[in-house]
Amino acid sequence: MLRDHVKLAFKNLRHRLSRSLLTLLGIAIGIMAIISLLALGEGMQQAVTGELSSLSDVIIVSTGGGGFSSFGGGGSTSTGEYFTQRDIAGIERLQGIKEVSTQLSGFGLAEYNGKTTVLSLTGMEVSVMKLQYASQNLEAGGFLNEGEQNKIMIGNSIAHDTFDADISVGGRIKINGEKFFVSGIFGKQGFGGTSSDSIVLMNSRDFQKLTGQSNISLIYLRVYNVNDAESIATTIQTTINGNHGKKDFATATTMTSILKTVQNIIGILQLVLVGIASIALVVASIGIMNTMLTSVMERTREIGIMKAIGATTRDIMSIFIIEGVLMSGVGGIIGIILGVFGSQALTLILGSFMSMGGGSSFQLVPIITITSVVLAIAVSLIVGVLSSLYPAWRAARMSPIEAVRYE
Amino acid sequence: MSKDVIVTQNVSKTYGKPPLQVFALRNTNLHIKQGDYIAIIGPSGSGKSTLMNLLGCLDKPTTGNIFIDGNDVSTLNENELARIRREKIGFIFQKYNLIPTLNALENVELSMGFAGVDSQTRTKKAKQLLELVELSKRLTHKPSELSGGEQQRVAIARALANNPSIILADEPTGNVDTKSGDNIMRILEDVNKKGETIIVVTHNMAIAQRAKRVLRIQDGEVQEEHA
Repeated sequence: MLRDHVKLAFKNLRHRLSRSLLTLLGIAIGIMAIISLLALGEGMQQAVTGELSSLSDVIIVSTGGGGFSSFGGGGSTSTGEYFTQRDIAGIERLQGIKEVSTQLSGFGLAEYNGKTTVLSLTGMEVSVMKLQYASQNLEAGGFLNEGEQNKIMIGNSIAHDTFDADISVGGRIKINGEKFFVSGIFGKQGFGGTSSDSIVLMNSRDFQKLTGQSNISLIYLRVYNVNDAESIATTIQTTINGNHGKKDFATATTMTSILKTVQNIIGILQLVLVGIASIALVVASIGIMNTMLTSVMERTREIGIMKAIGATTRDIMSIFIIEGVLMSGVGGIIGIILGVFGSQALTLILGSFMSMGGGSSFQLVPIITITSVVLAIAVSLIVGVLSSLYPAWRAARMSPIEAVRYE
Repeated sequence: MSKDVIVTQNVSKTYGKPPLQVFALRNTNLHIKQGDYIAIIGPSGSGKSTLMNLLGCLDKPTTGNIFIDGNDVSTLNENELARIRREKIGFIFQKYNLIPTLNALENVELSMGFAGVDSQTRTKKAKQLLELVELSKRLTHKPSELSGGEQQRVAIARALANNPSIILADEPTGNVDTKSGDNIMRILEDVNKKGETIIVVTHNMAIAQRAKRVLRIQDGEVQEEHA
């Protein structure tokens, strides 16, 4: 019986092919939008999660109450006060800490190609350097190696804008009279959070030798057990604040909490985008309803005949609902296929946008999950049923006498 | 003595409410027997269509009872009426009323489909019926590809599909030429000879006179016409 209804519904749709196709296109576009936006969101989630979760055992302690706003920089103090050796010792005494390293900040007089200027310098352990700047792409060269001396990595604008001539890898800069060789140049960051464009990175030992100072602006530490990270962070914050006699001198941030925040933001963004895409679906379902109502009007006579030869109310309802579901179902499947391509296209567009704002190694790959496909199919079927319910009811309610007499 | 397939007891059909009530059919008492061949005649607006609709279970009487094969159909609901229409009654309309998207074979199969007959049996039966109405060569033609006479013969095959007790034909020859009309009546009469009850509504006296019984309706009242 159901098979007959499907066959009848299919024949009716084929009979009005162009109208059916146009209606179905509406659903396809709505589903396409949802699929591609979900894929994009999922891609973002995974890219961010993948990048940050490898650092989930890291705690960053920075000065200032505002917290560590963005990954990959920061560290200058607003108060002019730095962490002390006492702070470091306090941290090292805590249980469960694997390693502690520091980022040093200071200034130096740099000379290149006859021009002299003051640059802010950053010193850190090479291993920390690799960790902290892992997400940034390099324009040229590579990271410093462990044990190498008098080597630096420089930001993009230092390489190209600060001095009269461009600096390339292997280039020699004099800082406070000492010769340094450029080992790597970072890609352009643009305005994405804290900029590494004007950074000069060297290892801690060179920094101390050069400046004679050890102004610690950031402390990096790794814990043995990721689960302890939150409680250790709290302890550190209390300890350092106590050392300095201030309530909000230090802020210890775990990667996990950053990760959660980022994931939440992406989640909300995704929800908003899908919400907007759903408007397309609502419009499409009104389209189905419209098409079906027209179809019911046109087929008044046919409906009457079917009733006269014994079709029940249920038969008629079922035929019309199946018609709606067929339209939206096929539309949904086409939408999913289009969504696969759509998400690729969207990624390309977004990607070119991002590289316009400054190159980043952050690779966005759209991910289409089984869940989103199942969701899309379910949604399109539900839309089909809901939007054909009223037309089907109108059809089924028709009196066979009037329907047969209808011209 | 064959049994009654249709009995009407004091059946009336009115439209509107008093005092503006209009009687479309007044106190009709009919006994129609298995194998009858009846013509219903009368001028337009006399109540012919109302009587057809009542006998065909498309409508319910305002008062009185209608028994079809012993079942009182005046008390049935929409779906039970659909079942009676499917199992007991075969309709033939003046305008053929085939489903335009289905071919001849599928049109005949349709009512069997609603009755839940499996697809193999259905196709076999439909082919037999189309052979009976001499349309074996037109199985896959759509209604638009068939002549009026051919469409009406498909409609006859469709009416016979569920082995109904009664064939109700409303002006079956009204839209076809004399020769096709004669052909259609001959097929219906063949079916009648095999024991099927045939009720034909017509304006055409020549058609009416071929029937065994003639009922004349005038102003909602049914009278037996004696030849």
